[in-house]
Amino acid sequence: MTDLKLAQSFSLMALNAQSSLHMTTVKKVALRSMAAAVILEVYLDGGFAQTENKLVLKNDVLDSSRPILYREAILKPLLRKNDQVEGELKWWLTRASKLSNKKLKKFEHAISDSLMEEGLLEVIPSLLGSDMYFDSSGVEIKEYRSNIEAYTRTTENIRAEILEEGLVTDEIICMLWLLRECGCMHDFFSRNELEKVNSRMNEFYQSSLLAKSLFPIQIRHGLELGIKQFLRMKKKFAMTYVGSSINFFFPMLERSQAVFIETESWFTNSTQRLNEVIKRLVSYGHEVTVLEKGSISTIKIDNVVYEAAPHFVMMRVPIQGVRLVPRRPI
Amino acid sequence: MSRQRSMETILNSEFVSIGELVRLTDSRYSTLKFYTEEGMLPFEQAEENLTRRYNREVTVARILLIKELKAKGLSIPQIKDTLGMDQ
Repeated sequence: MTDLKLAQSFSLMALNAQSSLHMTTVKKVALRSMAAAVILEVYLDGGFAQTENKLVLKNDVLDSSRPILYREAILKPLLRKNDQVEGELKWWLTRASKLSNKKLKKFEHAISDSLMEEGLLEVIPSLLGSDMYFDSSGVEIKEYRSNIEAYTRTTENIRAEILEEGLVTDEIICMLWLLRECGCMHDFFSRNELEKVNSRMNEFYQSSLLAKSLFPIQIRHGLELGIKQFLRMKKKFAMTYVGSSINFFFPMLERSQAVFIETESWFTNSTQRLNEVIKRLVSYGHEVTVLEKGSISTIKIDNVVYEAAPHFVMMRVPIQGVRLVPRRPI
Repeated sequence: MSRQRSMETILNSEFVSIGELVRLTDSRYSTLKFYTEEGMLPFEQAEENLTRRYNREVTVARILLIKELKAKGLSIPQIKDTLGMDQ
């Protein structure tokens, strides 16, 4: 069991189930947050010298005997050819998160390679590839899958530290901020738990200097600003009783997919139907665990929990099968 | 500033937090919280709003035993009985 650095732990969560080949909006947001995680990691490790409100990063931070490649991918473009660069924490985080797509891509390769070397990340066919339309058209999509034990260990540790009473470490404060900026909160906390998370964040803001300087910083920008407006509108709607579940069920940055898997016939037996689904998923290299059997079964596919409900789609003839719908929190 | 403890430090500590127990035993937080609330995992707590502290060796051994008993098909009341707890 290895001790992961902050950026590695966060990447394990942020990259899970993301397309490995294409730069989707969700992955771009994840990469921006991961780049900010590198800055926080260096900050926590004492890589910055502090003068008044400014954080100074010297060029020699990259000269250590065992360079960490993913750190280099972020710090080099920020340092350029200067001996040292200084700025406030907000400046560093914003600059790191605004790196070009090309540099983010390079960073993605560096950090995914570091995780793959330790056997904590792999590339598998995407769950969406099991969908009837993709499967029948032969389109191949790849996605990242975090090691299931390491993913569970990391996420459950964060949940425990945040939801339990008492003090938390600086890593947990950084992780909370990163999850918020990445839009991942819904993936790990239920709606009731989110209320607790909110009150804990306020508590940390009052008691921790790091939280006080970090929590007001926002690195979401560009496209996400539009999304933010949409969320504000959605929030207004969600204030009504009818709309109260909207935020819960349809978070803006969706990380899981609703997949339709066709079956040969409309099985009266739910076990047969489930077996058909498992067969398809396993053929695509997914790890499937049945959590609950029934007319609507609950299954864990890799790191995400889905409900498998009987469904049909209308083509020239109705095609019957099973719809996999993500269950929240993931 | 308080930093996260390394696995080496945790393995040398007498007391651990529930988050560290999650890391040590690969268990879910909700599971350990349930066991704690059921009185199956004894802990120490200086004050109400402070972190619960578990004796590492005793608690890890107990969690592994509970997992083993669950794998054998025992229910929670039966496990409690086996652990010598009053229902």
